[in-house]
Amino acid sequence: MTTARTLACLSVFLLAACGADPAPGPVEQIIVREPGAAPAVAVAAAETNADAPASALLADGKAAFANCSACHSLEQGAPNGAGPNLFGIVGAAAAAVPGFAYSDALKASGITWTAAELDSFITNPAAKVPGTTMVAGAIADSAKRQAVIAYIESATVN
Amino acid sequence: MGKWSRRAFIGAGVAAGGALVVGVAVRQGNPVDKLGPLLTTGENEQLLNAWVKVDTDNIVTAVIPHVEMGQGVYTALAQMLADEMDADWNKVQILEAPADKQYVSDSIGRDFLFPDLEVPALFEPTVAGGILELAQAMGLQFTGGSYSVRATGQRAMRTAGAAAREMLVAAAASEWQVPTSEITTADSMISHAKSGKSEPFAKFARAAAEQSLPAKPKLKSPENYRIMGQSKARHDIPAKVDGSAVFGIDADVPGMKYAAVKAAPVVGATVESMDATTAKTMPGVLQILNMGDFVAVVADGYWQAQQALNTIEARYSKTEGDSLDHDAIFARYATYLDEAGEDGGDMQTEAGDVAKSFAGAATKVEAEYKVPFLAHATMEPMNCTAWVRDGKCDLWSGHQAPVNARQAAADAAGLAFEDVTYHNAYLGGGFGRRSTSDYITMATRIASATGYPVKMIWSREEDTAQDHYRPSATSRFRGGLDKDGKAVSWDNIHTHLFDPADAPTIPYYNIASHKIRKVDVPMHLRFGPWRSVDHSQHGFFIESFVDEMAHAAGKDGYAFRRELLAESPRHLKVLETAAKMSGWGSALPEKHGRGIAFVPSFGSIVAQVAEVDMSGPKPKVTKVYVAADPGFVINPDGFTAQMESGIVYGLTAALYGEITIKDGAVQQSNFHDYPMLRIDEMPEIEVALINGDHERLGGGGEPGLPPIAPAVTNAIFAATGTRIRELPLSKHSFA
Repeated sequence: MTTARTLACLSVFLLAACGADPAPGPVEQIIVREPGAAPAVAVAAAETNADAPASALLADGKAAFANCSACHSLEQGAPNGAGPNLFGIVGAAAAAVPGFAYSDALKASGITWTAAELDSFITNPAAKVPGTTMVAGAIADSAKRQAVIAYIESATVN
Repeated sequence: MGKWSRRAFIGAGVAAGGALVVGVAVRQGNPVDKLGPLLTTGENEQLLNAWVKVDTDNIVTAVIPHVEMGQGVYTALAQMLADEMDADWNKVQILEAPADKQYVSDSIGRDFLFPDLEVPALFEPTVAGGILELAQAMGLQFTGGSYSVRATGQRAMRTAGAAAREMLVAAAASEWQVPTSEITTADSMISHAKSGKSEPFAKFARAAAEQSLPAKPKLKSPENYRIMGQSKARHDIPAKVDGSAVFGIDADVPGMKYAAVKAAPVVGATVESMDATTAKTMPGVLQILNMGDFVAVVADGYWQAQQALNTIEARYSKTEGDSLDHDAIFARYATYLDEAGEDGGDMQTEAGDVAKSFAGAATKVEAEYKVPFLAHATMEPMNCTAWVRDGKCDLWSGHQAPVNARQAAADAAGLAFEDVTYHNAYLGGGFGRRSTSDYITMATRIASATGYPVKMIWSREEDTAQDHYRPSATSRFRGGLDKDGKAVSWDNIHTHLFDPADAPTIPYYNIASHKIRKVDVPMHLRFGPWRSVDHSQHGFFIESFVDEMAHAAGKDGYAFRRELLAESPRHLKVLETAAKMSGWGSALPEKHGRGIAFVPSFGSIVAQVAEVDMSGPKPKVTKVYVAADPGFVINPDGFTAQMESGIVYGLTAALYGEITIKDGAVQQSNFHDYPMLRIDEMPEIEVALINGDHERLGGGGEPGLPPIAPAVTNAIFAATGTRIRELPLSKHSFA
């Protein structure tokens, strides 16, 4: 009985452990294009755009900012929402946007919003400034965060 | 079981930041030379298998070597560790162990392989070492078999917690210059009442790590449990409610592309040719691959990949499996069973003289039962993200055996195990499907071909048609009753045996002569463990036939089973509890019926009574009463949820579950032809929990399932006189 059970159990786990066949490569591999390369018809347009990388970052940031826009506007002169208007925020002192009711914690933070400070704040607002009323909107993904910050940074008076 | 847990081996050390780390490990100085390489981790061998750490901020972190697939394992195992440690439950954090061979559980391996082995202390290191070696070879960092709480929890988490507590107490006693016996612990605090001193665990973490290791940490007895036995809130629920929980399919890797796949419809066939003329022109398409046994399209997005894949015409090789269909499969089972006859097949267990007892029986009963292939239908379809580059491979997925997944990727990519990093996430359903590594291998092969990261996602159609199925089976019985209607003879032969080996056996029923055999039938389909594994078939077979014997004896199913369990008081109590809850024997409306079934499995004893309403065109299960004895219930709410979900899964299968084969291929493709139980079909469920033996814990994930099908079909018999001998119920007309 014990032997039968042992073998049966072994068979289950050997199946699990050794189920994979040696892995052959593709019999046929059709490479239509490489990742990142635009489809053939659009290549010319892409190549002529010298600002493509920066534009791509800003485009990513704009897309990612959709989540932020539930509370924040980036448009000059637009009213505050559940969060303050962020136009021109980079370089400004924390808790300085007129007409927004900031938490005492943020008022006392002494932060000046550089890209680096924004980065650590957006990573986890409550950890950076315990007591902040920014309870949503943390961005864990570093690439996404960098894109959002670049996009925010672009919203300023040139 | 208790004996082994007290002899678990301890290792400890100081981790970065002064944290105390305690692990249950194989003892150092193990005499088996060849185990050395398996046990050393580099400079500090004491850091094998860390299960718990105390941080300087007094947070206790439980390291859980199992995966969370909705069963609540993180919470239950952390409760076991925290209780023994006297930790403050509100300051306990949980960390899933990395997919590393260090977390291979020798206690699980041992219980799987040698459940009844008694080992003299002298030989323990050798035996334990041998088991660890086997466990590692088989990749048993495994979540399944309803094993987490009863094996890892009972033997490792509790021992690690108790050892950590004893070391902290010893450190405090040394500093305060008081006897350890005067020190108490509670809520992550160490106190000495006489002097009024009280300090957090963290204060002594570093000193504790320098204490000698307790050889036999003293485990609590149930009257002292403070966290075990409590319905602590599930650790994984908040993230699942607010959407922040990360499942395998949520993997987000920079530069990642998507793959859709379609395997040859008949297992074993190869893709002879493919016509990708249209697919090549479709938006987003990057690559089209004939991988031999499947076709893959890689694109910028999943939808683009799947749409392009749908346009590809592939031709497949002929195989022996092509001719098989549903009827041919069951005809093949019948042929093998006929050939085995009265004495053939593989004997699994035998007692007494069955031929003689059957020949001499006053009443003879014979029956044959059939159950179909079943798919797992996890809510999250199979998926894996792989990135193979520069001699390394990274994987993101959800898998029940992370070490196996890592090995499968290493094999597929032609890399060493150490060159593969596996990132495990929550599993959107496992049920045994995610214990096989086919989808890991496929993703790794695709990513090896592309060189960039690829997230492979199976469509629901692929998931349904390319599963590792619960085997279909046929089981034949001959039973004999004496003139008083007592069962005296039991002869069973069935097709297929997968696991666990005790599934067809009935040691708890007192039938003097019995003989249980199996025949193996070759089949081209892939089989895999399916929640409760062989108990899912044999629970139905055995409990249907017991009911038929009861009817032949002129007794009701409850009374007949009581007689069979008369000498097993713990089993009997479970049966009686379920019957009493249901008001067994009380009148029911016309066309309503009550059925009982009793199936011990995975160390837990479960009885269920189902009530059915047969007044409509199809069976309506209105109520299920459950009594369950898993030895000791660590988290009553979690265990009850497992009983309930086992019933949902088992009732789905009993009512509808059937994978059929035509021309060697699976005919079902999605939820329209492989339906799930709907909310309006959900019975009310009442669960009673019994703590029958705190030294012998049973599992929770699977034992709720096996009794539901026979409880329902026995209830249908009670209501209508129709005996169901083949599942699912949707095959039968009740109009």
